[in-house]
Amino acid sequence: MIEVEHLHKRFAPRARGAAAVVAIDDVSLLARDGRITALLGANGAGKTTTLRILATLMTADAGHARIGGADVVAQPLAVRAQLGVLSDARGLYTRLTARENIAYYAQLRAIGAREFAERLQRLADLLDMNALLPRRVDGFSSGERMKVALARALIHDPSHLILDEPTNGLDVMSTRALRRLLLALRDQGKCIVFSTHIMQEVEALCDEIAVIAHGRTVAQGAAAALREQAGGATLEEAFVKLAFADCVARPTPSSAADTQPRR
Amino acid sequence: MHHSSDLRFSARTTGVVLRKEATDALRDRRAWFVALAISLLSGPIVFLLTSNFIAGLEEQVARREVVMAHPEMAPTLVNFLQRAGATVVPATDDYQAALRSGRMQNGVVVPPADFEARLARGSTVTVDVVFDESQDKAQAVVRSTVRMLEGFNRELGVQRLIARGVSPQLLAPIAINDINLASANARGARLLFIVPWAALIVAVFGALSVAIDVSAGERERGSLEPLLANPVPTASLVLGKWAVVFAFSLIIVVLTMVGFAISMRFISGETLSALMQLQWREITIFCALLIPFAALMAAVNMLAATFGRTYKEAQTYVTYIAMAVQFAALAPVFFTVRDAPWQLFVPSIGQLTVLMKALRGEAIGALDMLIPAAVCAALAAAALAAIAHMLRRETVVFSRS
Repeated sequence: MIEVEHLHKRFAPRARGAAAVVAIDDVSLLARDGRITALLGANGAGKTTTLRILATLMTADAGHARIGGADVVAQPLAVRAQLGVLSDARGLYTRLTARENIAYYAQLRAIGAREFAERLQRLADLLDMNALLPRRVDGFSSGERMKVALARALIHDPSHLILDEPTNGLDVMSTRALRRLLLALRDQGKCIVFSTHIMQEVEALCDEIAVIAHGRTVAQGAAAALREQAGGATLEEAFVKLAFADCVARPTPSSAADTQPRR
Repeated sequence: MHHSSDLRFSARTTGVVLRKEATDALRDRRAWFVALAISLLSGPIVFLLTSNFIAGLEEQVARREVVMAHPEMAPTLVNFLQRAGATVVPATDDYQAALRSGRMQNGVVVPPADFEARLARGSTVTVDVVFDESQDKAQAVVRSTVRMLEGFNRELGVQRLIARGVSPQLLAPIAINDINLASANARGARLLFIVPWAALIVAVFGALSVAIDVSAGERERGSLEPLLANPVPTASLVLGKWAVVFAFSLIIVVLTMVGFAISMRFISGETLSALMQLQWREITIFCALLIPFAALMAAVNMLAATFGRTYKEAQTYVTYIAMAVQFAALAPVFFTVRDAPWQLFVPSIGQLTVLMKALRGEAIGALDMLIPAAVCAALAAAALAAIAHMLRRETVVFSRS
């Protein structure tokens, strides 16, 4: 389970005299085990910052986040141990083969050779990437890179998985492969959070949606509940209403809280 | 971000990082190409240049050629020079231009038109020696020409005194006897600072691309973020990476030294091999001094590159370091005080000082080796600690992203 309560994060001003940038103002969400939770928001809404705080790579100025009960600030190692992260930049080593890329992370996490071989085989079958394993990553397509990065993020069999815009730049077949895998992982009881701004993806995959706008969680619930709440016929309409109503209501934060009940 | 609960260090993880980075670096063709080019070519190039320089010098002094404008004006002088074993070569009309352009490096002796007449009268004759001091080889050649003219002076003066019944000894209350304390090696080393300097530069540049690849390269690829999300102590990451950069530059330094030693054997000029001591003993001293220095440069280059977000940006920062080292290494050439104790404590100046000492064939004390090595080790450790600290700071990891 991933619990996020009132996270706030501000970046120091870049130039003297410039104002500090508030990356996230007040983000809260709850992602349960065995569910896929989407972090839905426009570009710059604060999705990546939220995920970086969850991955213990950034520290929030205020608020709390717990992954599987472990606090991201107080117990970062416990958090990292049970968390798989797929970052926006896949971050593969192009001179290494796909297998070597995945093996590196397995070794860093002290996974034994036999266990590694078994898990890699299972992941390669699931992601249909057996042919990729002995090849060097240089020259891989974005779909192939995503598969390698995902296998690498899952090699320690984490109970929690966070993905930053995982379908960015993927073709249909790769997107479908990713979906299949995420659904399979969900059915194994894993807690999955991914950020996106693509509605179809959310509808096809997610059990739960947290809408983020301008650094604040403006709503959380199932797709149907959100549509009902916002009074939109489609999720897109609902999203626009939720996200931009907040924008209009921003001058008085209390009014935003009144109109957009948060879980 | 600075977590108190961050793991401090793990030898196992360091080994994992080291193996991965080694594999990565070994497959980096760009890095190998640059490294091998530097290490294999620098020896032969350096020796070719220096031996060429010395051989040309040797040749002209040995030939004892005296270039004279209008030798027909001064047959007495020509006669003396020929008796002294020199060949008198008439200068061409454009000798001034030839001197300036460096086509000609001798000094040109210019006797006046009334040389013989004034000589006969017994009055002082002014003989010009025209040369261009900016030409490297001019000094030595001109000195030998002037020495020969002084010989003529002495001979004629003595003859005149004897003719007047005066003992020539009255003219020389003291006898000057030059004893040059600089051994043959010492004289060579004065101009051969280029050899240790080249060796230092190799230690700086050899593993530069690997240093950038393991630091700024991680960021450019976007691999730093997922890497840091592993439960791995930052110190292990830094140490594993550094070990590979260091090993890489070690290979290059040793290869370069072997190149130096081999090049030395192919140099025919006896003067160079007599002037400069560079046998296996010196090669060993070179390696022993350069290895700690390479360790420091690996760490410092990584530190500078950690500020870079891309390979290109890191290259800019690393260039400052390389420049600083090069200029520092050149400084001792201009020092009036040789081998001051403080020089040993400054990286690159210390190495150069001791390397020059070795080349001059002087004794190398234990402190000469230990002080520079200890300074390098301490600074390298500080640089690595600084990198580890930086990687724990989110403002560094995510700078401007």
